[in-house]
Amino acid sequence: MALKVKLYSLFRINLNTKSVEYELESDITITELIKKLDQDFEGYFTQKLLKKDGSIARGTIILVNGQNIFHLNKLETKVSDGDVVTLFPPSAGG
Amino acid sequence: MKDYLKRQQKLFTAAQQQRLEELNIMIAGTGGLGTNQALQLQRIGINKIYLYDYDQVEVSNLNRQLCYGKKDIGRLKVEAAAEFLNEFDLETEIIARNEKITLETEVPEDIDIIFDGMDNFESRFILDQLAVENELPFIHAGIEEFFAQIMLVLPESELRLKDVFTGSDKQEAPAVFSPAVTVTASIQVLEALKYLLAFDDYLENQLLHIDLLSSQMEKIDLK
Repeated sequence: MALKVKLYSLFRINLNTKSVEYELESDITITELIKKLDQDFEGYFTQKLLKKDGSIARGTIILVNGQNIFHLNKLETKVSDGDVVTLFPPSAGG
Repeated sequence: MKDYLKRQQKLFTAAQQQRLEELNIMIAGTGGLGTNQALQLQRIGINKIYLYDYDQVEVSNLNRQLCYGKKDIGRLKVEAAAEFLNEFDLETEIIARNEKITLETEVPEDIDIIFDGMDNFESRFILDQLAVENELPFIHAGIEEFFAQIMLVLPESELRLKDVFTGSDKQEAPAVFSPAVTVTASIQVLEALKYLLAFDDYLENQLLHIDLLSSQMEKIDLK
């Protein structure tokens, strides 16, 4: 079992990638996961998901096993092998 | 059965068709999604549509809000939309409510579901709260560029819109255009009908993600 990161909308289009998997030796936080993703995608996720002060930028949803990290431990939410992280910018218009 | 509905007869059981023709639906926001929803819901023969909005038609609406033309600029949206829909003479009763949706809004007592036709998450959270208080199902949709999401929230659901979409609002106005808005509103109507007419498979604790650039739809499980 690995940690699976699923990408949607512009993330998928921009990176030409549907999902990424990481074999983890121990639990990591979402902040650490973003650093891992940055290594594979040239800093893309820090730019898209975080403000300059390192807090979560508005306009992106980060779900861990279907739960928004705003209602968990935000960027300190821990993930481990077998978890699914979903990343997408929600559509606001109508 | 209304005489003009014959070509959809095979899609439904007699009980489903009867239920369809008895449905009363509240459309909250008569913009891009809302005008498309209204056109579809009238076309399939539901009983009554309540249109809610408090805005007037602006020129920037005309690239996707199908009930309005240039002659309507400056008119109340709900009045212009009701007039447009009534010209088809298709028996669905259209009720125009020129009011802003707030936590104090009195939701009509006879409706079966609330349709999200809003254009920002703050308003959607208010709408979801009204659905909770009135024990009504609520179907959310949001569209931006070539991407959209749809979520059906059942009256008994503990998982509400805010649980999923906290942190979603952005500063800038989203880019929207007619083909993507129409597709999204049409799927929203279909997903609502699957629940209301008791089809086996409808969205429950799932988000339907629509990617029109890649021509893909995918369900995301929620908790």
